[in-house]
Amino acid sequence: MEELPSITVSQREQFLVENDVFGMYSYFDTSDIATQKFMVEIQRDKQLDYLMNGLRQLGPSFSSLDANRPWVCYWIIHSIALLGESVDDDLENNAIDFLGRCQGSDGGYGGGPGQLPHLATSYAAVNTLVTLGGEKAFSSINREQMACFLRRMKDTNGGFRMHNMGEIDVRACYTAISIASILNIVDDELTRGLGDYILSCQTYEGGIGGEPGSEAHGGYTYCGLATMILINEVDRLNLDSLMNWVVHRQGVELGFQGRTNKLVDGCYTFWQAAPCVLLQRFFSSQDIAPHGSSSHMSQGTDEDHEEHGHDEDDPEDSDEDDSDEDSDENSGNGHQVHHTSTYIDRRIQPVFDSLGLQRYVLLCSQVADGGFRDKLRKPRDFYHTCYCLSGLSVAQHAWSKDEDTPPLTRDILGGYANHLEPVHLLHNVVMDRYNEAIEFFHREA
Amino acid sequence: MKPDRNKFSIEEPLSLSLDRSRDDFQPLSSTSERKMHGRPRKAYKPEEEAASASKAAKLRSLQTQFMSIHHHKIYTKEAIDLSRKLLEINPEAYTAWNYRKLAVEDTLSREESNQDLVKSILDEELKVVESALRQNFKSYGAWHHRKWVLSKGHSSVGNELRLLDKFQSLDSRNFHAWNYRRFAVELTNRSKQDELKYTEDMISKDFSNYSAWHNRSVLLSSLLARKAEGFTPNEKIPEEYKLVHDAIFTDEDDQSGWFYHLWLLDQTVNVETPLLTSSWPSHGSCINLSGGDGCLNDSSSSKLTTFCSDLGSFPLILYFDQPVSGVSSSTVAVDSELRGNEDLVWEPVSNKNSRVSCVWVARLNYMSSEPCFPKEYKVKVRIGNSPGIVSSRGCNFSTPYEFVFTAHVHDTVREDSQEVIVSWTDGFDIWDAQSKDLNFLVNLDQQMGLKWRQEAIEEEIELFRALSDSKIGKLTLARLLMAKAMISENGVKGVHYEEILELYSDLMVLDSSHYRYYKDEHSVALLHKVTSSTESLSRYLFQYRDINNSICLRLNNLSLSRIASVEKLLFVQMLDLSHNELHSTEGLEAMQLISCLNLSHNRIRSFSALDSLRHLKQLRVLDVSHNNIGEHSVDTTRYLCSSPLSNSEWTEDEVGRQMTSLVTKYWDAYFVLRDLDLKQLDIAGNVIAGDEFSSFVPQVVPKLVWLDGQKLRS
Repeated sequence: MEELPSITVSQREQFLVENDVFGMYSYFDTSDIATQKFMVEIQRDKQLDYLMNGLRQLGPSFSSLDANRPWVCYWIIHSIALLGESVDDDLENNAIDFLGRCQGSDGGYGGGPGQLPHLATSYAAVNTLVTLGGEKAFSSINREQMACFLRRMKDTNGGFRMHNMGEIDVRACYTAISIASILNIVDDELTRGLGDYILSCQTYEGGIGGEPGSEAHGGYTYCGLATMILINEVDRLNLDSLMNWVVHRQGVELGFQGRTNKLVDGCYTFWQAAPCVLLQRFFSSQDIAPHGSSSHMSQGTDEDHEEHGHDEDDPEDSDEDDSDEDSDENSGNGHQVHHTSTYIDRRIQPVFDSLGLQRYVLLCSQVADGGFRDKLRKPRDFYHTCYCLSGLSVAQHAWSKDEDTPPLTRDILGGYANHLEPVHLLHNVVMDRYNEAIEFFHREA
Repeated sequence: MKPDRNKFSIEEPLSLSLDRSRDDFQPLSSTSERKMHGRPRKAYKPEEEAASASKAAKLRSLQTQFMSIHHHKIYTKEAIDLSRKLLEINPEAYTAWNYRKLAVEDTLSREESNQDLVKSILDEELKVVESALRQNFKSYGAWHHRKWVLSKGHSSVGNELRLLDKFQSLDSRNFHAWNYRRFAVELTNRSKQDELKYTEDMISKDFSNYSAWHNRSVLLSSLLARKAEGFTPNEKIPEEYKLVHDAIFTDEDDQSGWFYHLWLLDQTVNVETPLLTSSWPSHGSCINLSGGDGCLNDSSSSKLTTFCSDLGSFPLILYFDQPVSGVSSSTVAVDSELRGNEDLVWEPVSNKNSRVSCVWVARLNYMSSEPCFPKEYKVKVRIGNSPGIVSSRGCNFSTPYEFVFTAHVHDTVREDSQEVIVSWTDGFDIWDAQSKDLNFLVNLDQQMGLKWRQEAIEEEIELFRALSDSKIGKLTLARLLMAKAMISENGVKGVHYEEILELYSDLMVLDSSHYRYYKDEHSVALLHKVTSSTESLSRYLFQYRDINNSICLRLNNLSLSRIASVEKLLFVQMLDLSHNELHSTEGLEAMQLISCLNLSHNRIRSFSALDSLRHLKQLRVLDVSHNNIGEHSVDTTRYLCSSPLSNSEWTEDEVGRQMTSLVTKYWDAYFVLRDLDLKQLDIAGNVIAGDEFSSFVPQVVPKLVWLDGQKLRS
């Protein structure tokens, strides 16, 4: 052991996290069935209590001390919607009124009443109102003024500014285009040069950074990819290297990291898994599946059988493993659920380890008392609750060809009791709510 | 009601906001949320609760007062102080940052000449930012405000670096700080060499710090690009390899070094200045030109060089090693006796409407209205005599280059319709060409065989053969071997294509979740191998009896998932890519001579994936049968923000107006097919195929003679 070079700080931290995570997995694996069942269950009642409490404490006056109140509304209300629930009329009306007061007279929403309109809080407000649904919520958004606000935020370099005199980055681009797309106010002026700007932020790693010159980052990668899909210029990105980068951000802990060589964090369950699923839906489903299993498919389609065979040696199915199994051996414990063997029946083979990811979120990020967190030993918060649940939903639907195809029981760790509503991958709002909103805003136009 | 302790507690210990392991992607920043909900859940003492409540009340009142002064545009000293108090507690209050910008502008407009005052005002701003950053290191608003102050020409690089050092030693991965660092260095013209030294220090402290590696690549790119002293690639890149080896070999599982290594390899292989990779016709070649569809009955050896076109012109193709702009009649001189080519129009061949492309084409007329006698013409092409050809990275095509070819123009009878159906199934004979017939095809001018590049890669290969047990080791070795193949003087010698193919095959098995990526790389390597020598290429060339023994390149049944090496295949007129695993035809747009193309039994899912074919002006026969066209796994109408038809260009043409509903239904087919001048199309065996689609096609492609083996008109 003395021979080993001294480890770096990041390596030490990584080691500590792995220790925690594998400790948890090992505890899970050695527990009895009833305990295991409890551990992977989404504690719906506790989760709802936590969320509803948070929402009630925002009101009744929706005090505006912070610069991101609309975000808190979105995190909570979207999380509730993912769990298949709605808020009561009082809370709904309060939220609509409050967001109405955040809306500036020249369009856009600020972080609280009287604050400057800001693209990120506008995105949160619009997504919240879409999630609440209904005529009152939808019509509270001033579409014409919003269009003016978005045009004011557009910079000559093709990107968007967060707010008047604010910073330009990929988040701003995404939030602007997501809003414009839902409200059906996209036009040439908004999309002009935008693809060029996003393109200049893709790094040689494959992922997308926040601004030109920055290193690739999970959140910005989601924003950049979603923007490019929304403006129909996704082909301009180097999708192969993007796929390569994003898939490799899932580490031995089975959760995702946000950047090269950073620690795992529950919120990247959404930021990284959503690009994976978006990319895999853009690529042909057949090609993503490991080739070894093609002869076992029960639902395999047409030309698959004849295509395979030449040029490929035929590995046994059992060889199909992931890096997580290697690490299991190394760390001397490990999860024994050989979930890969259940992939025989194939729809879309996820490009990431979906059940492994769900395992990480449920065992390491869920707080039994309600809420989700970054990782073990960290406190819960609404931000992580929102993006852990959103990511879980994405992971559960990773095998489906589209949002309307329900997952099979085996796709969902913990079974159908854990099923979450599917989300629209480009906007991260629950699909049904999105459909209702789109119908409304296209009627409006 | 008791105030909620999780919600409105204000103060935040510095240690928490500088928590280095935290790297999430909160919309404003992480600590505001943390302030509200992130407190470790432990019992609170009553006095803590009381303190917290009083702070909440204080902040609430501050906030109210601030909103009032902001809305009334009051810029007195007291008012400005108030905004400072607010920001020190809550750096996320971006409205207050904007207020301060307005306040500063207000004072500056009145007191511009008072240098001392200006300085003290801007100093104050920097102080506010600094204390806000202490409160929350990840505040977008605070960093942005500081950039704004610096843009006013204030502060010194020394100050900024001292501040950054303080923060970066607490969190070496904070991307706000790194972004700001790049900004400040750029603005103050701090020497990039010094910055490079800084990244070296950061790396030697912690080689896992990928942010430092990344910044190193940004700095080196810039230093190499402007040829700073001591920064020639042949000196610097080998040194960098040594540096990164330390990291890679210390811990093979650490990702940072691998990514930097990938970047280095990229720098080793790619040359900054654009080069001409190939052309058609190629230097020293002799081509036969004739009109009409029926080609010359000539000896087989000239088949490859015979070009027939009903357009009466042939394409002159230039293929560059990287996308360039500025190819025009002023940067490329074409001297020939062929008439009517005084002002050639050069067009980039690219799928987007950009003026940048690897491939540029001009069409030279050879059929004139006057009776044309068989004649021989010399054509001389000179590229880059005058500047103007520039790569997308801004480098000039600097080495003028010239090539000469001969064109024989023959007079032939024109035939207007295609009576022969191309069946693809039989009628192919092995082509027993002499390799001398092929020599000119693959004899390309490779001008980049610089010695240091080969040596550097050779060294890396030796080193990584030892590490090739791991996935990343295998992948790196495969990439290195490919790099070697790309920069070798003469294609085959010393290149181990079999080894590359084997490595990728191994990886497909070992790492099935990245199967597709390896598959594509495997295809690229395979096509490199096929085109690496005349011997190898001639094995794939056949004669097709049904059309005058035309030469057909058959790359069928190779399990290809991607097209590559097209720069060596510009001569191909008949191409069989059937029974592969292609998803798109991207790359084929360069092969401007193609008239017959077989893509049957591939994995093409939509007409959009055939978009590149729109550039093939000679294409007459297309087989896309037995693909997955029409099987959208993504519902495009759902994902596009507006219907692709909303640009309404289709309503302006005749067909679009007459068949609105069919065009709407088959819009992607419509956009591709209407630009193709096809005589034969095979579409059977796709989801989209059917009676309705079969009735739609002939209206969009009026010259079509054969559809799925059926003759449409006599």
